[in-house]
Formats: sequence, structure tokens, C-alpha cells
Amino acid sequence: MMSAIDAIFPGLAGKDFKVTSAKDADYNCIAWAVGVTDDWWWPGGTRRTHWPAGVPRQETMNAFQLAFETLGFESCSTEVAEAGFEKVAIFADSQGIPKHAARQLMTGRWTSKLGKMEDIEHDLHKVNPEK
Amino acid sequence: MASVPVKQPPTAKQTESVEQRFRRLEALWTADTGYLSSDTEIVGHPAFQEIISMGDAVVPFMIRDLAARSSLWVWALPDLTGADPVTPEDRGNIRKMSEAWLRWGREHGYQ
Repeated sequence: MMSAIDAIFPGLAGKDFKVTSAKDADYNCIAWAVGVTDDWWWPGGTRRTHWPAGVPRQETMNAFQLAFETLGFESCSTEVAEAGFEKVAIFADSQGIPKHAARQLMTGRWTSKLGKMEDIEHDLHKVNPEK
Repeated sequence: MASVPVKQPPTAKQTESVEQRFRRLEALWTADTGYLSSDTEIVGHPAFQEIISMGDAVVPFMIRDLAARSSLWVWALPDLTGADPVTPEDRGNIRKMSEAWLRWGREHGYQ
């Protein structure tokens, strides 16, 4: 029987990740990717979530990239850690709808917040919803 | 000849209290959506919508949960109560939204 975490993040099914926080409904993956732990970032309902002013509230890769750009992020071509840069990765499903984001740690590993559940440390593509 | 309707044995769902039904749906909702970030998917889940359909009978349980810790029940309470005690600048801040709903709860007799 497939659990919810396996269905949403099939790459995590092997349990090759480390839980690094308690469950916390105060923030989600996008907030955690930008280092925020007191807001739920998503372009959904205006009365439910935070989303940067001026960025379209659309579940599209373009809108998500614009949201990160409000904080100074720029597109880059490699997931390899580079000194002096903080990197984030946005994952979308097969239809191009963003589902998740992760942030790179100094070690080159990645950290993610899983919905209202825990933070984890993992290899980047373990949280690709399409894997 | 006479007949009487056959009584069906009560099922667990028929005998559960409002709170038991609420907790059963909450568990189902959390199991399916706990790892999601999209609020539209989270509130669109059938269990969440069934909780909304239970009406204001579930408000005390939600307020009680909020007293223990901040919770995404703040996304259900506006539909259940028609109220909106969260200031625009606090939207998205689940902790402050929870505190606003707790104040609302106290003002409306929920403990």
C-alpha cells in the first residue's frame, strides 16, 4: 500500500533522507526555500496564503520564478554548489504545475519542508514529484 | 401476512459522534494532504470539504485545536462562520491567523 508521502514524493520512498525538524503548520516548502518560517507561501487564495506583491497568483513556473526573483534569485544552469550563492530548485509535475521547492545547504545537500509536516535533508532529485 | 422492515445493523459511521466524525475526516485529510504545499489542493480535498459541510458544529473542535497550536483550520473557519477576523497583513501567517481566530473564538463564547 502506497503512503501519501510516497505518492507525492516517490523519490523519498527509499527513506534516504534525514528529518531535521518537528511538524510545523506555520510554513511550507516555498517559505522554507527562501528562509521564512512564519508564512505559508503559495499563489492560491489571497485570504489564505502569502505571495509577493506584484507577482501573479498563478500556479505556473513563471510566477514562481518571479516570486523568487523578488528576493534576488536569478536562474542558473547547474545544481552544483557554488561559493557565495544560495540556490533553490523548483519542481513541477508533468503538466508544468509547480509542486515543491528545495534549498541548497552549504554541504551541497538540499533541505525541504514537506507541506505542514517536517523539514528534511536530502539529495536534490529525491523530491522531484515526477521521479 | 405481515412484514416489518429489516433493520440494518448500525455501522461505525452511523454511530459516531460529531467529534468522532470530525477527527476521522481530519485524519484522512492530513494523511492525504499533509505533505502538500498548495492551499488549493489542501482545501479542495474531499475530507476537508466534508468537514466544511458539517457546519458550525465543528467550530469548537477547531478553536480547541488552535489553542494548542497554530493550524490550517484557519482556512476552514471563514467558510464555517462567515467571519474574517484576520487582518490583511497577517494573511498567510498561520500563527497570527490562528491567534486572530482564537480571539474571535473567545469573543463568541468558544473556549
